[in-house]
Amino acid sequence: MSVPPLRRLRQVPRHLLVCEKGHARHARSRHAAHVQEHAYNCRVSFLIPECGILPEVLKNTIADVGEYYLVRNLSVHELVAHEFIDAFVKKGSCYALTYNTKIDQDNTAALLPNGKLILSVDKDTYEELGLQGRPSQYSGKKVMRYIITIDLTDSGFHPDSKKHNRVLWALKEKKPLEFDFLLAWYNTGAEGSTLMSYFSKNQIQALKPKITFNTLRDLQCPVLQSNELQGKPDESCSTEELFEWLGAVLNQVSLDNKSSSFLSTYCCPQPNTIVEKAFLCTITGFIIPEKIIQLLEQLCCYFGEPKLAYWLTLTVHGFADSPVSWRESEHGFHKGGENLYNFVIFRNLDYWLQMAVGTNDDCPP
Amino acid sequence: MARAEPPAATFERRVLRSAAEHHYLRVRLELPDGGARPSVAQFKQLVVSALRELHGEVGAALPVDVLIYEEKTLSAILRVISSGLVKLWSALTLLGFYQNRRCAFRVLQTSPFLLALSGNSRELVLD
Repeated sequence: MSVPPLRRLRQVPRHLLVCEKGHARHARSRHAAHVQEHAYNCRVSFLIPECGILPEVLKNTIADVGEYYLVRNLSVHELVAHEFIDAFVKKGSCYALTYNTKIDQDNTAALLPNGKLILSVDKDTYEELGLQGRPSQYSGKKVMRYIITIDLTDSGFHPDSKKHNRVLWALKEKKPLEFDFLLAWYNTGAEGSTLMSYFSKNQIQALKPKITFNTLRDLQCPVLQSNELQGKPDESCSTEELFEWLGAVLNQVSLDNKSSSFLSTYCCPQPNTIVEKAFLCTITGFIIPEKIIQLLEQLCCYFGEPKLAYWLTLTVHGFADSPVSWRESEHGFHKGGENLYNFVIFRNLDYWLQMAVGTNDDCPP
Repeated sequence: MARAEPPAATFERRVLRSAAEHHYLRVRLELPDGGARPSVAQFKQLVVSALRELHGEVGAALPVDVLIYEEKTLSAILRVISSGLVKLWSALTLLGFYQNRRCAFRVLQTSPFLLALSGNSRELVLD
């Protein structure tokens, strides 16, 4: 008889944390590209130590995060209709993601700003649809999920092409798929109809992101040095320590425990300083990368004037059930579906970027 | 405090593969209506006794931290050393009684990153 694999009791699901450092004003810095490539974001939070009142510029940026739309029972074939493609997909960045669908159980669809429509469907739906796709990377030996990618801006996808007709037929007659969609559209100045008027026949609702402000008093903050990603004993904290600390702050975990405490031994990493007040702002909704880049830029400008704070952070949570994380790399749920990133912007505009993904994910870019 | 500005950071990238020291679980304890709700110390004691029941004294010695506990909703965030995640999760799942009353632990969310627990898109409610 073989020995039970006790070792497996000690194993944890695969996960990745990528930490980068660089300078925000460096000509070849890719930090904004990483934001742009992470299309679906459900929560953005920033924390500014030594800040009691938010500067007016930042307030305006937050107010400008923009609305998004929730369209109920929208057939997927409406997204591949040529009127829609010409009016929105080709004229700006159009984001769409199914709402309240679970990537590990349900069919899911997403439209990326580059015009690619991604359908993540179970085996039965895939066979009924009859569109070409590929097995999901994370489905194991017995494939139960397939990914179909349709490039809506492809030159071969014009209204009379066979390809277009087949996709339309599959989604309209063969296997009609209907979801609640979150939609957002970003365009630079171009005139045209709005999503609201385009989908007026459907049940469409304009939504504003929920914004909460919070002032944290006497907060213990770790000491960081921008050029020491791994930290130095007694001098500065490492990027992993900061990541955990920030999680504790955003979850309102108490930081001043004793190592002998029965309840919790978690305490703020050493060395740390006590900050009299810190400003925490959280934005929840369907937030598009363009707006996050604007916010990031404004946060960099925050240090344009002399400030007491040595650094600030910007945290972005992705949707756990989106079919992609960064770029077009496939994303799955497994145990948590986490895909998030966090910036630490330093006073001299150095930055740290931490990107974290769970089990069913590629390495972040 | 004046601090000398260090030179601009040069680009560096570190990839940490499955390196998280701890795992985090957001859990909720379900109890029948009425009756006393456990205080935070009793809650921790319940977690430890669940571990002892399934994994013995060695299991009970597993370092578990109750990071936050809300008595009103009986929900908590637990932190456990990564190698003990399976033990803790299984012990919580198989626990059935609190002070001779039926009870059940619901694991709502789990992650190697505490930060991930602060934004769960599955709980996103739009009005």
